[in-house]
Amino acid sequence: MGLVSPALDVPPEAERPNKRAKLEPLTEDTSQDTSRAVSPAPGGARHLDLAERLDAEERAKYVKGAKLGSGQYADVYSAHLKTDPSQLVAIKKIKVGAEFEQWGVSLDSIREIKFLQELDHPNIIKLYSVFSTKNQNLNLVLEQLPQGDLLKLIQDTADISYTPADIKAWMLMLSRAVHFCHVNHILHRDIKPNNLLIAANGEIKLADFGLARYMADPYEPMTYNTITIWYRPPEMFFQSKFYSGKVDVWSCGAVFAELIARDVMFRAIPDTEINMINLICEKVGTPTEDNWPGVSKLPTYTVPSPPTPLKSADHWRAMFPSVGPTGVDLLMKMLSLDPRKRLSAQEVLEHDYWTAEPRPSRLEDLPRKGGGLEAMGEELTKMGGELPGNGKPTASRGRADGVARKLDFAAMAK
Amino acid sequence: MSRLAQSAFVPAVRREARPAGSDSPDEICPVCKSSRYLNPNLRFLVNPECYHKMCASCVDRIFSHGPAQCPIAGCTRTLRKPRFREQTFEDLKVEREVDIRRKVAAVFNRREDEFEDTRAYNDYLNDVEDITFNLINGIDLEDTERKFADYERAHADEIKENAELESQEQSSYRVLQKKEREQIRLRREAARREEEEDKRLVEENRREQLRRLAAGQDASVVEKDGQQVQLKRRMDRRAAEERQRQLHARDAPPTPVTNGATPFIKGLKQRKGKEAEPPVDAFDGIRYKHQYYSLQDDYTYSFLDNAKKDARILAGGYNVHEYNERALADAFAGLGVFIADEVTERAKLSHDIEVPTEMAATEAQDVKMEDPV
Repeated sequence: MGLVSPALDVPPEAERPNKRAKLEPLTEDTSQDTSRAVSPAPGGARHLDLAERLDAEERAKYVKGAKLGSGQYADVYSAHLKTDPSQLVAIKKIKVGAEFEQWGVSLDSIREIKFLQELDHPNIIKLYSVFSTKNQNLNLVLEQLPQGDLLKLIQDTADISYTPADIKAWMLMLSRAVHFCHVNHILHRDIKPNNLLIAANGEIKLADFGLARYMADPYEPMTYNTITIWYRPPEMFFQSKFYSGKVDVWSCGAVFAELIARDVMFRAIPDTEINMINLICEKVGTPTEDNWPGVSKLPTYTVPSPPTPLKSADHWRAMFPSVGPTGVDLLMKMLSLDPRKRLSAQEVLEHDYWTAEPRPSRLEDLPRKGGGLEAMGEELTKMGGELPGNGKPTASRGRADGVARKLDFAAMAK
Repeated sequence: MSRLAQSAFVPAVRREARPAGSDSPDEICPVCKSSRYLNPNLRFLVNPECYHKMCASCVDRIFSHGPAQCPIAGCTRTLRKPRFREQTFEDLKVEREVDIRRKVAAVFNRREDEFEDTRAYNDYLNDVEDITFNLINGIDLEDTERKFADYERAHADEIKENAELESQEQSSYRVLQKKEREQIRLRREAARREEEEDKRLVEENRREQLRRLAAGQDASVVEKDGQQVQLKRRMDRRAAEERQRQLHARDAPPTPVTNGATPFIKGLKQRKGKEAEPPVDAFDGIRYKHQYYSLQDDYTYSFLDNAKKDARILAGGYNVHEYNERALADAFAGLGVFIADEVTERAKLSHDIEVPTEMAATEAQDVKMEDPV
């Protein structure tokens, strides 16, 4: 027996009668393997290998509490540390979906784990640990952020009012988070207000790294079919496969504009790429060879004619008067059409806006919405790239309905 | 206070409509039994020692030769003449409470502007009210009295200072009020004078017009001239007023400031501290620097040539420089890591899990070799 690999040391079938039911799609071999891997050690009769033991140890550290939300993609539970019940966490349990059969563990959760476990920044959601439970469900132990998300604050025009100083504080936290991702060579690729969760102390936390990736090597194509469509930069609509961190800066710019105007800046309805291009042309200006050298070489460069000239600084100032000239200057440069002219995350932080008056609000002075635990639960259950439904549960949308979710492998192979 | 004496007050209390120290005809001095009916000039006095009421002649009679015991049956207090006074409130209980409150307020006279937050001020007020309440209702009397005396001893200087401030404020308030009244009077006077002057001028003008008409001048011309004269006068006067005002504004001292704050608006102490917050640092004190290499602007590497030239790559914003940076970071990534440190770090990390609050943004950078400087 000493030489037998633990993997072959399978207890008799009868010991685990109920473990099989949920694993129908799997072949006989793997199901045996997985069910063996997840059944808790019954009275030491079973032999656990090191990975299983570590997993069980990790799992035993947390006590799962109430369910905060449930969606197509994941369930979110409140939980706390066994050793200290006052330390709350959120456990995001990734559901085993149809794709499990085809791809194994969902790509989004792999990305999320991969990047979150490397990033440790006050404005990025913290991943404490990962473990698996029955049926090889992935469980992500995340920071608990009980104050909802930024979208709820923006949309609640009736009850919440905030000042330019509050906007500055939020944007500063967002910019720091994005900058931190970029210096670590990570593109977030899904920045939008409902991915900006709010911690108990008012801090903004960038969440949902399900669409993130490392910056690409030269000539390595990236998908242009990512980032929630309203926050997607123009180069992606022209199907550029080679882009940089500037795509996140555009999204931040769109969030900035949304915070000021309390409405989505580029709200194309219906949300098609063509409508988005038209809207960007209308609101920023038409991308041409003059203002964006080389743009016509991009794969699907089509713009409505006649071209709209770039909007002047005065026009921008008239549209966003509350943030003052420096704020508008930053916004313009974040929403510059040509990604090379757009500010990088570093340049955004170097902008005068942050040091100009008014001073960013202190955390404790930021407006709160409160009662957002459910909101966090709801938010974390969503897939990346989905447009915020108007209170409509995401379950009503099919898994593949989010355009951004369709991975276009054919296009990448070209 | 004897119960007997107290019951004697009851009839007086019942007639609430009467002013304090009322002169009801059937009121009787409990000491000499003389009543107002017989002696309309009967005045009743009380001594804040025991609040027993008696007539002024009794007070004269009993206490003129020095302190003596209260003549009311059952009361053993020793009273002195100078402290006898007329009561302000009809209800002697109220009279006594007001006296006690006055006494407490004279000692516990801290001001709102000594406190930095409302909470502290309210706590203080609550403590004071507790002491006052105890004194009024005779709860824990000994203990409270001792506390009161202790406080008075401990804070003698401040109490004196605050009392002075208070009286100063009151006097300056009075002065201010007086000044204001005076100003109002002057304004009214000026307005009246002006009106008279106006009337006089109109009258004069009319007389002048009549004179000219009588002298046989053209009626329309005369009327026009008259109007013009009046207009000119009015303009002159307005200009003069304007000049006067300007002169006044220059001479008048800038708004009078009474030691820092106006006497009417009081508030919490001006918070000091916190002055000059540090300037906003957009980078939150974290600067990313490469420890083991310095990045050049350009590297000659034929593999990259196309990426530097191809419009399709450039127009999308792809930046070879970012790639260089990442390649170098990756190449040097292992250098800063020492197994021994790793292990202690891990031990610390597992400890940190117990306290999952905000952690310093350090570990992730170590991996990437960009240390915060």
